Amino acid sequence: MASRGSLMFLLHAHLPYVNHPQDSAFLEENWFFEAVVETYVPLISVLERLAAEGIRPGVAVSISPTLGAMLENEALEAKLGRYVDSRLELIEKELERVKDDPLLLRTVQLYQELYQEAAGLLHKYSGDLITPLKSLQHAGQIEIITTAATHAVLPLLARPEAVRAQLAVAAEDYTDRFNCKPSGFWLPECAYEPRLNSYLKLSGFNYTFTESHAVESAGAQAPNGVYSPYRTPNGLGLFARDAASSREVWSAKFGYPGDPAYREFYRDLGYDGDYEYVRPYLGSDGIRRPLGLKYHRITAAGTDLSAKQYYDPDAALERVEAHAADFLERRMKQTDDFYAARGQRPLIVSCYDAELFGHWWFEGPAFLEAVIRRIRAERLPLQFVTPTEYLNSCQEPLELSPGMSSWGENGYFDPWVNETNDFIYPAVYAATDKMIETANRFRNQDLNGSSLRALNQAARETLLAQSSDWAFLLYIGSHADYAKGRLEDHAANALRLLGEVIEKKVDEPALAELERRNCLFPRLDFKVFSSVSRF
Amino acid sequence: MPELSRTLPAEDKLVLLPKNPGVFFAFWQFSESRADSFRAQAFAPEIELRLSYSDDKAPASAHKAQWQAGRAYLPVPPRGGSCEAALYALRAGAWEKLLESNPASAPVTAGADSERACASMEFYKRVQP
Repeated sequence: MASRGSLMFLLHAHLPYVNHPQDSAFLEENWFFEAVVETYVPLISVLERLAAEGIRPGVAVSISPTLGAMLENEALEAKLGRYVDSRLELIEKELERVKDDPLLLRTVQLYQELYQEAAGLLHKYSGDLITPLKSLQHAGQIEIITTAATHAVLPLLARPEAVRAQLAVAAEDYTDRFNCKPSGFWLPECAYEPRLNSYLKLSGFNYTFTESHAVESAGAQAPNGVYSPYRTPNGLGLFARDAASSREVWSAKFGYPGDPAYREFYRDLGYDGDYEYVRPYLGSDGIRRPLGLKYHRITAAGTDLSAKQYYDPDAALERVEAHAADFLERRMKQTDDFYAARGQRPLIVSCYDAELFGHWWFEGPAFLEAVIRRIRAERLPLQFVTPTEYLNSCQEPLELSPGMSSWGENGYFDPWVNETNDFIYPAVYAATDKMIETANRFRNQDLNGSSLRALNQAARETLLAQSSDWAFLLYIGSHADYAKGRLEDHAANALRLLGEVIEKKVDEPALAELERRNCLFPRLDFKVFSSVSRF
Repeated sequence: MPELSRTLPAEDKLVLLPKNPGVFFAFWQFSESRADSFRAQAFAPEIELRLSYSDDKAPASAHKAQWQAGRAYLPVPPRGGSCEAALYALRAGAWEKLLESNPASAPVTAGADSERACASMEFYKRVQP
């Protein structure tokens, strides 16, 4: 059946750079291990399974450079292997403990399958999950794009040199990782302001994404609303996020993930289990924390955690199929309504954090698979498209100059600039301004080994200080001390290194330690921060 | 109010950032000599942050703050768009311009639907055990 409209799924995968090689186990590294097991492995498995059956997924995936660096970090891979082994050991004990409770046993078996799948995929690719993603892109099954080097909220970087560094380092990182130049750019937090379109175009990117209200507020300039791409005056392609399909999946209150049959995120064996029993699997401090084994379902909105009922995997899968059908029915209605009104086939752009699928919404990967399979199985007149193939085949997009926006709370930059986190910006700007000043000073000088290494490491530290994650964690009050410490450390490291270069007194052992810990962007050249006329 | 744990280099700096339609965020720092002048009461403790429009440099609004506050939220002036801030201090009865900011751009009114779904806040905001 001929397509009546197109669907574009963009999954944005990002984690802050967390690497503590000096510690055998570090609490915040669990963010990475959990995301690998619960999100990245299941999503890769879905994409590979579909591709193997001749069903082209056709989704776009944004891999942040910090996540890419962690996925390729051998020390983290080794720790990840130990994390998976440790959970499999605990699951073996759990299988014995719950053997007389068929419903609970079924859930524990599900976790065993999940962790065995992770162990199998990691073994298959020697611990490097970039390899299958690269293969899927090479085979035309998916399109991979990038985002800012350390996921900085770009409208909050006032210096053009700082924005340029975030974009240039991201482009180089992508080219090194995926063996081709990136075409698309995911704006961190979907945070857009008008000056970014020229920066993106000058950095070689062809398209980006904005929030729906950035386009909708353009009024007559955007006659198709969010249902077609646009281009900025300098030729950058713009896709607008569709609010309806986002809300259905994103909203914990109104969306599918809040279904009573789905797994409850906040009830976990790490809190529920007998302390001595779970103690070997907690951190060295012995504090109870999530272990990733969650046996309860949401049950009902507002239900107290203690009153949650046991999860039933089969009942949850039934809801997945129902939600996939509902999602597609709503998209069909959207396409029909748009076609009736405009006589054109619409494009529906659905953008989500990848970690929603699996980590937060346990059933998310199964939902994604069900949606893609249903389009094929039911011969629905919808097709999945990737951004580049859509831009290559659509009519010349209309010109648009959208306003500022983000996908964060309230639609702008409030989560990253408010009374809980605004104190960080003097530190971010102290490092950034000093980095730019020093890059300009030394850009035409022949530098010896340690000075050059110190400048390049200062550039890494400056980029890491600019990450959106520290402000966000401070705002939500989660791991706030860690976020504050990381931000202050990176800013202080940058300032110290730059001072040492200027004074010709580089502390080599301290530099080597920083290079070992914050070892992303191996080809980074500090001159990326220097002032150039075209920006 | 949370603060940084470490002291930053004392430099003259005024930065203006967009927060949302209707609000700019500004922060400022002074060099040691400027800070000494404030401490010695050569400048009055109350400073003025003046916003002007970037395109025609027309004055837009003025806001008072204490020199040690270091940061403030400023309403976007009526025309919106690109604005610049300047920090003035009063010395011997005359206003003196001490710092100038970068340009920053924000509209006056929002176009976002308050019921819109946002990103991961939806999930983080749930009460944790």
